Amino acid sequence: MLRITDFDLSYPGYPPLATIQWTVDTGERVALLGRSGVGKSTLLRAILHADRHAAIDVQATQVAYLSQQPALLPWRSVIDNVLLGFYLRGSPITEHLVEHAHALLDQVGLSDFSKRAIGTLSGGQKARVALARVLSENASLILLDEPFSGLDRSTRIQMADLCADLLCRHTVILVTHDPRDASDWLNQAMILNETDLRGPYQLDAFQDDRALIAALDGAL
Amino acid sequence: MRRLISVMIYIASIGLVWKALVWLFQIPHFILPAPERVLMTAFERAPQLLHHGSTTLAEIVAGLCLGALLGFSTACLLSISGRLQRAAMPLLIVSQALPVFALAPILMLWLGYGFASKLAMTTLIVYFPVTAATLSGFRACPLSWEDTFHTLHARRWNLFWIVRVPMALPHTLSGLRIAASVAPIGAVVGEWIGSSSGLGYLMLHANGRGQTDLMFAALLLLCLEALLVWTVVNRLSRRFDHHMPTGSVS
Repeated sequence: MLRITDFDLSYPGYPPLATIQWTVDTGERVALLGRSGVGKSTLLRAILHADRHAAIDVQATQVAYLSQQPALLPWRSVIDNVLLGFYLRGSPITEHLVEHAHALLDQVGLSDFSKRAIGTLSGGQKARVALARVLSENASLILLDEPFSGLDRSTRIQMADLCADLLCRHTVILVTHDPRDASDWLNQAMILNETDLRGPYQLDAFQDDRALIAALDGAL
Repeated sequence: MRRLISVMIYIASIGLVWKALVWLFQIPHFILPAPERVLMTAFERAPQLLHHGSTTLAEIVAGLCLGALLGFSTACLLSISGRLQRAAMPLLIVSQALPVFALAPILMLWLGYGFASKLAMTTLIVYFPVTAATLSGFRACPLSWEDTFHTLHARRWNLFWIVRVPMALPHTLSGLRIAASVAPIGAVVGEWIGSSSGLGYLMLHANGRGQTDLMFAALLLLCLEALLVWTVVNRLSRRFDHHMPTGSVS
């Protein structure tokens, strides 16, 4: 699904970061951990712009991306935002497509919200709409960049449960600070530090905060 | 209702201070006429004031509309190409830095003493704030959104109409709000340089004849017109203000 060979991670204007070797197979769901500033998001962005990097090979027909600040247009309705990809590609919005979108909203627990304006939703509800859009794109690779880190603890747990339900058959890379969000539905963890990307590790290994800190420091 | 009462009290207290100043310092009426004298003149000369007032209002409104249209179109055009934007920016800055007073005689020469030259002045004043605000609206899209649109394989023009323009529109309107408060300057200065109608013309005319109370009556009407225009634009701008997530609107 994803093969990265000798990719030099760098951010314009900053000293170079790690050199990445990484393979993700189809069906793997990986948590990408690391201290802030080591380039987790930069790596994720490089993957979604794989066409610009010779060192990154993505074998996916469709890649979906969800960030902490989901791209939801506040002036459009919930259902329009779920179907935004189709609008932006200029695909005809068929009845079948709308039905499918309603079904997805039902799955994320927002069946009565399709006509609502995005501005009237809570943070957790917005994250659900964004998740419904990710699902509507039928992506073979899903990239999540701390999508739930702006939410409160209980909402995050709900979202993790929802992801466990809905994304359990997908290939997923999740950038996160908190492996507890991911333990139920991801099957391995990678740790990025200033020099390289290490792993895979079992997620259970990081349930203890001290173990996580030690791992981030590179002691593992 | 409460709001109306507080506005009335506000206006009344300004009138009172004004009256007190005139009375306290024994200011002659040809320097600063008392408020009731100005009001009397306003009623007596109402037809004349309204005639000139409507000319000025038309100039302001037409200038705002044309300036908004041109400014918005310019920003749309510049947003499409970074190179074009870099090339056009100095010209835009110059258009704002050159005082409209300096351009007025040239505009008179080119467009004559009628409506067109005042429209041009007002449009010129409105144009820059609207262009600049709209451009910043086009740049307000967070990076993560751009990445999302990339993964959605957005087509350029669909992205433009579905995302960029609606996102820029509230910025346009807040630029227009700033423009609305300076638009009367263009109209009045234009009328000073040369015209046969408008509040600017009336004020110069009254000044020449020592009719200070008429000057003040005209000024009062100008204030009212400016407030009216600003209120309408402000309402409009609030209606279109969809709340973008924090950190994305500059």
